Amino acid sequence: FRGQVSVLYFARSAELAGLRCETLRVPRQVTSLQLWEEIVRVHPRLAVIRDQVVFAVRQEYVLLGDQLLVLQPGDEVAIIPPISGG
Amino acid sequence: MDESEDVPKDFIKLKSEKLSVDEVSELVVSPYCGAVSVFIGTTRNNFEGKKVIHLEYEAYTSMAESEIKKICRDVRQKWPTIKHIAVHHRLGVVPITEASVIIAVSSPHRAESLEAVTYCINTLKASVPIWKKEIYEDEYSWKENKECFWANSKK
Repeated sequence: FRGQVSVLYFARSAELAGLRCETLRVPRQVTSLQLWEEIVRVHPRLAVIRDQVVFAVRQEYVLLGDQLLVLQPGDEVAIIPPISGG
Repeated sequence: MDESEDVPKDFIKLKSEKLSVDEVSELVVSPYCGAVSVFIGTTRNNFEGKKVIHLEYEAYTSMAESEIKKICRDVRQKWPTIKHIAVHHRLGVVPITEASVIIAVSSPHRAESLEAVTYCINTLKASVPIWKKEIYEDEYSWKENKECFWANSKK
Protein backbone atom coordinates (compact mmCIF):
# COMPACT_ATOMS: atom_id res chain seq x y z
CA PHE A 1 0.00 0.00 0.00
CA ARG A 2 3.01 2.28 -0.53
CA GLY A 3 4.13 3.66 -3.85
CA GLN A 4 7.00 5.67 -5.30
CA VAL A 5 6.29 9.32 -5.99
CA SER A 6 8.61 12.05 -7.28
CA VAL A 7 8.93 14.85 -4.75
CA LEU A 8 10.07 18.23 -6.10
CA TYR A 9 11.46 21.00 -3.91
CA PHE A 10 11.53 24.69 -4.89
CA ALA A 11 12.93 27.95 -3.55
CA ARG A 12 13.27 27.98 0.23
CA SER A 13 12.09 24.37 0.55
CA ALA A 14 14.93 23.25 -1.77
CA GLU A 15 17.43 25.11 0.42
CA LEU A 16 16.06 23.53 3.60
CA ALA A 17 15.83 20.01 2.16
CA GLY A 18 19.21 20.33 0.44
CA LEU A 19 17.96 18.93 -2.84
CA ARG A 20 15.57 19.62 -5.71
CA CYS A 21 14.02 16.24 -6.34
CA GLU A 22 13.92 12.68 -5.10
CA THR A 23 11.78 9.56 -5.16
CA LEU A 24 10.02 8.67 -1.91
CA ARG A 25 7.90 5.67 -0.98
CA VAL A 26 4.69 7.03 0.51
CA PRO A 27 1.25 5.57 1.28
CA ARG A 28 -1.01 5.41 -1.77
CA GLN A 29 -3.86 6.97 0.23
CA VAL A 30 -2.87 9.69 2.63
CA THR A 31 -4.11 13.09 3.75
CA SER A 32 -2.08 16.05 2.57
CA LEU A 33 -1.06 16.77 6.16
CA GLN A 34 0.12 13.17 6.66
CA LEU A 35 2.10 13.39 3.44
CA TRP A 36 3.76 16.56 4.72
CA GLU A 37 4.66 14.79 7.97
CA GLU A 38 6.20 11.88 6.00
CA ILE A 39 8.37 14.33 4.07
CA VAL A 40 9.39 16.23 7.22
CA ARG A 41 10.50 12.93 8.78
CA VAL A 42 12.99 12.65 5.90
CA HIS A 43 13.93 16.37 5.97
CA PRO A 44 13.30 17.76 9.48
CA ARG A 45 14.53 21.25 8.53
CA LEU A 46 11.38 21.69 6.43
CA ALA A 47 9.29 21.94 9.59
CA VAL A 48 9.92 25.69 9.87
CA ILE A 49 7.97 26.45 6.67
CA ARG A 50 4.93 24.27 7.42
CA ASP A 51 2.58 27.26 7.75
CA GLN A 52 3.66 28.81 4.48
CA VAL A 53 3.59 25.98 1.96
CA VAL A 54 1.06 24.17 -0.15
CA PHE A 55 1.55 21.07 -2.25
CA ALA A 56 1.07 20.67 -5.96
CA VAL A 57 -0.06 17.08 -6.59
CA ARG A 58 -0.16 16.17 -10.28
CA GLN A 59 0.18 19.95 -10.85
CA GLU A 60 -2.92 20.93 -8.87
CA TYR A 61 -2.56 22.95 -5.66
CA VAL A 62 -3.50 21.15 -2.43
CA LEU A 63 -3.55 22.76 1.02
CA LEU A 64 -1.95 20.92 3.93
CA GLY A 65 -4.88 19.42 5.78
CA ASP A 66 -7.49 16.70 5.70
CA GLN A 67 -7.79 16.36 1.95
CA LEU A 68 -7.37 12.71 1.02
CA LEU A 69 -4.86 12.12 -1.74
CA VAL A 70 -4.89 8.99 -3.88
CA LEU A 71 -1.36 8.70 -5.23
CA GLN A 72 -0.31 6.63 -8.24
CA PRO A 73 3.27 5.39 -8.69
CA GLY A 74 5.27 8.05 -10.52
CA ASP A 75 3.00 10.94 -9.47
CA GLU A 76 4.69 14.30 -9.02
CA VAL A 77 4.30 16.00 -5.65
CA ALA A 78 5.86 19.46 -5.33
CA ILE A 79 6.46 21.57 -2.24
CA ILE A 80 5.28 25.08 -3.10
CA PRO A 81 6.53 27.95 -0.90
CA PRO A 82 4.85 31.36 -1.35
CA ILE A 83 5.16 32.34 -5.00
CA SER A 84 6.67 35.52 -6.37
CA GLY A 85 6.44 35.48 -10.15
CA GLY A 86 5.82 38.50 -12.32
CA MET B 1 -5.54 37.07 -44.50
CA ASP B 2 -9.06 35.79 -43.91
CA GLU B 3 -10.11 36.21 -40.27
CA SER B 4 -10.80 32.48 -40.12
CA GLU B 5 -7.05 31.97 -40.70
CA ASP B 6 -6.13 34.32 -37.84
CA VAL B 7 -6.88 31.72 -35.19
CA PRO B 8 -6.46 33.05 -31.63
CA LYS B 9 -3.17 31.86 -30.17
CA ASP B 10 -1.44 31.77 -26.80
CA PHE B 11 2.33 32.26 -26.80
CA ILE B 12 3.87 31.15 -23.50
CA LYS B 13 7.59 31.04 -22.90
CA LEU B 14 9.86 30.72 -19.87
CA LYS B 15 13.47 31.46 -20.82
CA SER B 16 16.76 32.58 -19.34
CA GLU B 17 17.70 34.97 -22.16
CA LYS B 18 16.86 38.67 -22.11
CA LEU B 19 13.21 39.34 -22.98
CA SER B 20 12.26 41.48 -25.97
CA VAL B 21 9.26 43.82 -25.98
CA ASP B 22 9.39 43.96 -29.79
CA GLU B 23 9.33 40.19 -30.07
CA VAL B 24 6.45 39.74 -27.62
CA SER B 25 4.29 42.51 -29.13
CA GLU B 26 4.87 41.27 -32.66
CA LEU B 27 3.59 37.83 -31.63
CA VAL B 28 0.12 39.21 -30.92
CA VAL B 29 -0.23 41.73 -33.75
CA SER B 30 -3.17 40.96 -36.02
CA PRO B 31 -4.70 42.78 -38.98
CA TYR B 32 -8.09 42.36 -37.24
CA CYS B 33 -6.94 44.09 -34.06
CA GLY B 34 -6.71 47.81 -33.42
CA ALA B 35 -5.11 47.39 -30.02
CA VAL B 36 -2.10 45.67 -28.52
CA SER B 37 -1.70 46.20 -24.77
CA VAL B 38 1.61 45.36 -23.14
CA PHE B 39 2.73 45.00 -19.52
CA ILE B 40 6.43 44.88 -18.68
CA GLY B 41 7.57 43.90 -15.17
CA THR B 42 11.04 45.30 -14.49
CA THR B 43 13.45 44.87 -11.60
CA ARG B 44 13.87 47.65 -9.06
CA ASN B 45 17.21 48.45 -7.47
CA ASN B 46 16.00 48.81 -3.90
CA PHE B 47 13.77 47.21 -1.29
CA GLU B 48 13.18 48.68 2.20
CA GLY B 49 16.36 50.72 2.00
CA LYS B 50 18.50 47.78 0.88
CA LYS B 51 20.32 47.89 -2.43
CA VAL B 52 19.22 45.07 -4.74
CA ILE B 53 22.15 43.71 -6.74
CA HIS B 54 20.05 41.51 -9.02
CA LEU B 55 17.10 39.10 -9.00
CA GLU B 56 17.05 35.36 -9.54
CA TYR B 57 13.95 33.51 -10.69
CA GLU B 58 13.18 29.81 -10.61
CA ALA B 59 10.05 27.97 -11.73
CA TYR B 60 8.19 24.68 -11.58
CA THR B 61 8.32 24.98 -15.32
CA SER B 62 5.75 22.45 -16.52
CA MET B 63 3.17 23.60 -13.96
CA ALA B 64 3.94 27.29 -14.58
CA GLU B 65 3.21 26.80 -18.27
CA SER B 66 -0.05 24.99 -17.53
CA GLU B 67 -1.14 27.65 -15.02
CA ILE B 68 -0.41 30.39 -17.56
CA LYS B 69 -2.45 28.40 -20.12
CA LYS B 70 -5.34 28.40 -17.61
CA ILE B 71 -5.04 32.17 -17.29
CA CYS B 72 -5.23 32.51 -21.08
CA ARG B 73 -8.33 30.30 -21.14
CA ASP B 74 -9.95 32.45 -18.43
CA VAL B 75 -9.07 35.62 -20.32
CA ARG B 76 -10.81 34.32 -23.44
CA GLN B 77 -13.93 33.45 -21.41
CA LYS B 78 -14.07 36.88 -19.80
CA TRP B 79 -13.17 38.88 -22.92
CA PRO B 80 -14.23 36.85 -25.96
CA THR B 81 -12.94 39.40 -28.47
CA ILE B 82 -9.31 38.93 -27.37
CA LYS B 83 -7.24 37.68 -30.30
CA HIS B 84 -3.72 36.67 -29.22
CA ILE B 85 -2.02 36.49 -25.83
CA ALA B 86 1.72 36.31 -25.20
CA VAL B 87 3.35 35.77 -21.80
CA HIS B 88 7.13 35.61 -21.59
CA HIS B 89 8.79 35.21 -18.19
CA ARG B 90 12.50 35.23 -17.58
CA LEU B 91 14.23 32.67 -15.38
CA GLY B 92 17.67 32.73 -13.76
CA VAL B 93 19.54 35.96 -13.11
CA VAL B 94 17.77 39.19 -14.12
CA PRO B 95 19.87 42.38 -13.82
CA ILE B 96 18.35 45.59 -12.48
CA THR B 97 16.05 47.44 -14.92
CA GLU B 98 15.74 44.46 -17.23
CA ALA B 99 12.34 42.89 -17.78
CA SER B 100 11.34 39.81 -15.78
CA VAL B 101 7.96 39.44 -17.44
CA ILE B 102 6.28 40.77 -20.59
CA ILE B 103 2.59 40.23 -21.31
CA ALA B 104 0.98 41.33 -24.59
CA VAL B 105 -2.67 40.99 -25.60
CA SER B 106 -4.41 42.02 -28.82
CA SER B 107 -8.07 42.83 -29.40
CA PRO B 108 -10.13 44.72 -31.97
CA HIS B 109 -10.74 47.62 -29.54
CA ARG B 110 -8.57 48.80 -26.69
CA ALA B 111 -10.79 48.30 -23.62
CA GLU B 112 -10.59 44.50 -23.70
CA SER B 113 -6.84 44.17 -24.17
CA LEU B 114 -6.13 46.76 -21.46
CA GLU B 115 -8.35 44.91 -18.99
CA ALA B 116 -7.04 41.50 -20.03
CA VAL B 117 -3.39 42.49 -19.54
CA THR B 118 -4.20 43.70 -16.02
CA TYR B 119 -6.00 40.46 -15.27
CA CYS B 120 -3.08 38.40 -16.62
CA ILE B 121 -0.40 39.96 -14.45
CA ASN B 122 -2.58 40.00 -11.32
CA THR B 123 -3.55 36.35 -11.75
CA LEU B 124 0.00 35.31 -12.64
CA LYS B 125 1.15 36.76 -9.33
CA ALA B 126 -1.50 34.78 -7.49
CA SER B 127 -1.21 31.40 -9.15
CA VAL B 128 1.88 30.66 -11.25
CA PRO B 129 4.63 28.64 -9.50
CA ILE B 130 7.56 30.98 -10.10
CA TRP B 131 9.82 32.26 -7.29
CA LYS B 132 11.94 35.40 -7.05
CA LYS B 133 15.01 35.77 -4.89
CA GLU B 134 16.29 39.32 -4.27
CA ILE B 135 20.06 39.44 -3.86
CA TYR B 136 21.32 42.31 -1.65
CA GLU B 137 24.89 43.18 -0.78
CA ASP B 138 25.10 41.01 2.35
CA GLU B 139 22.09 38.72 2.17
CA TYR B 140 19.18 37.57 0.04
CA SER B 141 15.44 37.16 0.43
CA TRP B 142 12.82 34.94 -1.15
CA LYS B 143 9.97 37.29 -2.06
CA GLU B 144 6.30 36.51 -1.50
CA ASN B 145 3.55 38.07 -3.61
CA LYS B 146 0.77 39.58 -1.53
CA GLU B 147 -1.59 37.92 -4.03
CA CYS B 148 -0.36 34.49 -2.88
CA PHE B 149 -3.00 33.20 -0.50
CA TRP B 150 -0.68 30.79 1.34
CA ALA B 151 1.97 33.37 2.19
CA ASN B 152 2.17 34.22 5.92
CA SER B 153 -0.87 32.14 6.65
CA LYS B 154 -1.59 31.61 10.32
CA LYS B 155 -2.71 28.11 11.17
